[in-house]
Amino acid sequence: MKKAIHFTLNGYEISVEVESHKMLLQVLRDNLQLTGTKDGCGQGECGACTVIVDGDAVNSCIYPIFEVECKSATTIEGIVSKDGTLHPLQKVFVEHGAIQCGFCTPGMIMAAKALLDKNPKPNEIEIRSALSGNLCRCTGYVKIIDAVKTAKDLLREG
Amino acid sequence: MKGNVLGKGFPRLDAIAKATGETQYTIDLNMPGMLYGKILRSPLPHGLIRSIDTSKSEELRGVRRVITARDVPLNKFSFYQHLADKTILCSDKVRYVGDEVAAVAAVDEETASSALDLIRVDYEPLPTVFDPEEAMKPGAPLIHDGESNICFHTERVFGDPDKAFAECDFICQDQYVTHHVAHCCLEVSNCIARWSPSDQLTIWVNTQAPHAQRQEVARILGIPTRNVRIISSAMGGGFGSKLVMDMKLPVAAILSKKTGRPVKIVNSRSEEFSTAKTRYANKIYLKTGAKKDGRLWAREMKVIGDNGAYHDKGPGVIGFSSMTFSVLYNVPNIRYEGTLVYTNKQMGTPFRGYGNPQVTFAMETQLDVLAKKIGMDPLELRLKNANQPGEMTSCGAQITSCGMTQCMEAAAVAARWRQKRDQKGLRGIGMANMVHTGGGARIYGYNAADAFVKLSEDGAVTLITSAVDMGQGAHTAMAQIVAQELGVNLEDVKVVSDDTDLTPYDLGAWGSRTSFICGNAALAAARDAKKEIIAVASEMMEANPSDIVLENQKVYVNGSTDKYSFAELADYAINKRGSPISGRGRFVDKLPAGYTITEAFAKNIPTFVFGTQIAEAEVDENTGVVRVLKFVAAHETGRTINSAMAQGQIEGAVVQGIGYALTENLVFEKGRVVNDGFLDYKIPRIGDIPDIETILIETEDPDGPFGVKGIGEPGIVPTAPAIANAIYNACGIRINKLPILPEDILRALRELKTKQG
Repeated sequence: MKKAIHFTLNGYEISVEVESHKMLLQVLRDNLQLTGTKDGCGQGECGACTVIVDGDAVNSCIYPIFEVECKSATTIEGIVSKDGTLHPLQKVFVEHGAIQCGFCTPGMIMAAKALLDKNPKPNEIEIRSALSGNLCRCTGYVKIIDAVKTAKDLLREG
Repeated sequence: MKGNVLGKGFPRLDAIAKATGETQYTIDLNMPGMLYGKILRSPLPHGLIRSIDTSKSEELRGVRRVITARDVPLNKFSFYQHLADKTILCSDKVRYVGDEVAAVAAVDEETASSALDLIRVDYEPLPTVFDPEEAMKPGAPLIHDGESNICFHTERVFGDPDKAFAECDFICQDQYVTHHVAHCCLEVSNCIARWSPSDQLTIWVNTQAPHAQRQEVARILGIPTRNVRIISSAMGGGFGSKLVMDMKLPVAAILSKKTGRPVKIVNSRSEEFSTAKTRYANKIYLKTGAKKDGRLWAREMKVIGDNGAYHDKGPGVIGFSSMTFSVLYNVPNIRYEGTLVYTNKQMGTPFRGYGNPQVTFAMETQLDVLAKKIGMDPLELRLKNANQPGEMTSCGAQITSCGMTQCMEAAAVAARWRQKRDQKGLRGIGMANMVHTGGGARIYGYNAADAFVKLSEDGAVTLITSAVDMGQGAHTAMAQIVAQELGVNLEDVKVVSDDTDLTPYDLGAWGSRTSFICGNAALAAARDAKKEIIAVASEMMEANPSDIVLENQKVYVNGSTDKYSFAELADYAINKRGSPISGRGRFVDKLPAGYTITEAFAKNIPTFVFGTQIAEAEVDENTGVVRVLKFVAAHETGRTINSAMAQGQIEGAVVQGIGYALTENLVFEKGRVVNDGFLDYKIPRIGDIPDIETILIETEDPDGPFGVKGIGEPGIVPTAPAIANAIYNACGIRINKLPILPEDILRALRELKTKQG
């Protein structure tokens, strides 16, 4: 049974008509063709589907679409600024070699953004804790931690 | 050398697109009219198929086609065709939980899943066998036709091991057990198949070996190779899982042919864990003997490998592990016996390290036991037996560049080996060495690559390469080699790849071969293009070719201040001279004298790489949990192409190794994987990683491009034994199986207390 869901996506108010049992991830990828957010497990365990809803990092693969009604959602496609400048997190991930296959990257960046938006001065334990829901099989996380540490300094300066 | 990009940690060429979410992986692709396929898999580990009734599923609204074995060619298939034992769909028998029995194509995934539920299969269960040593015994249930479940066997002897053991002053003999682990690529295995009206089949698939899979698809479908095109794109990980064709490819192709629509099939994460093939699990019997002074004198290994229900690259994995076993420390008298056995479980397949992590776990943990027996420090024992540059080993392998001693010394200093061996509490450090291939293997008879460099009319440099980037950064590495040779920036080089219609035949990304083989081809192509650039420049600048310099993105006469851009050069070439600029490069691996594939053994390895890892760990005596505190990994790169990428390869491999050693384990119950999700199959998370220090040792390989050799796999090879040896140093217990779980530690600590007290 289809239902109209109204929410703000990457700064734009939108309305989609979808079966109400769908998850936010499916709607993003299948209905809205926003494939930047990835499907890694469908079970809320790997974090590849991480998006930000009302400031919180959520696993969109287990986030029912009707839950996002009247809320504000941000995906990886939405954090580049309007003039095309990369978000500082994107910039440091690129520069620090924190990206290999890149499949975990959008989710990892969104989880890091949710952290830094709430807590601009996290220590390493807080960084590790905030990203503990995001699996990476390629990098061993070393350069990801370095990148987030650098980003927090960049964001504080700028 | 005029270029100045080699070795630097520049950002990868594909990083920005990945950071913005623009990169399209196979799983992101959609096409007009595309249908979704799903596969019905056997719920039994062993059984006869009595009947299949697909009528209800065909009637379900939205289902376009249902197929079973009667709808597909029944050519048997395997990576090694002479061992072919699997058909696209099972016709009479299922041999593991997950074996493909039927498939549907429907308008969406939900409908396809519902359709599977409506297919009725009547199975007659057969007796099962899950343990390879049980499966070897006479009277064990036979999984395939034939007299035994033993499906591969190899033996090698060098020197006289029996006589040599009698001459040894110290001997250790132990058994080791390694386990099934899953690759856990973040992007699951998936593909899309589509036919053109003229019978050309195109398959989009995340594959490490596009040309090999193209042949495999053609072979199993019984169609000409030239009718098949494989397109790969950015891959969400490989680690060996994407080398051999998965049955999803021919299934999708057949569904696509029968429906006239593109068909996409995507593994669920559960299918990925339970059917996407595992690292080969081994039982290893190892005996090592040494002389009084610590010189290793004799060594004997017997490996029994769990093949799973069908053949994959198991014989290669067994064979390769026999080579690294024979080369490490150049022991003069060695015997290796390797056997693969069918069991009713999902198959094995290559996984980073290709058999080497398994045998190195046995070899390097036993070496510490031997060191204790002799009364030598484990570092001293290893330094004494180190492989040397230029040595011809007893098994016939010619070592060229070798940084083993440098790796050990650098790691020992960085880890503060001597200071940390006697720490208070349950804290200790342990080390392990490794040898691996740094350039693939010659064993397929073809170990070559072509590459092309073209200069566009605006001076942009493009490299066309068959190097496969599965996330390890191969395309950037190739571009960095070209940039170095042509004196341009890394970001000035565009890489075109990923399409078997475009790229020359190449065996794929495995065996840490890409930097060596494809890198040599890319360098040759750059050098060829450079010749043409110089010819054009000498005409344009009216100078001697030998006076032309390519540096800092400019072309000029040596000593002149008039420097021209590549754009100006290309403009001259195209518009004044009237001809384009390009280069062709070819690398053909030179074979040693008298080489034959079957007799060559370790001569199959073009170049060896060595490395040392030292782990510092703390054991909690109440919970048995092992916390890895610090890792030092010193590895040879020959010559580093991109320092950030090389470090990334080692860091990622070490963390995979930590998972391999301590937390990962596919648990089978009567042949069924019970932990088929990330909740219960534990790969390391960001909170689990220790401080990891990587040291890159450059030994300038004589045959690698600019001295480069491979770095993709070595990082995972010594990790588990380094941890096991650290545990021993911390609390005196030896665990000879993987994974080393808290319950194993607690049990062993209790036994130790009982023995002592």
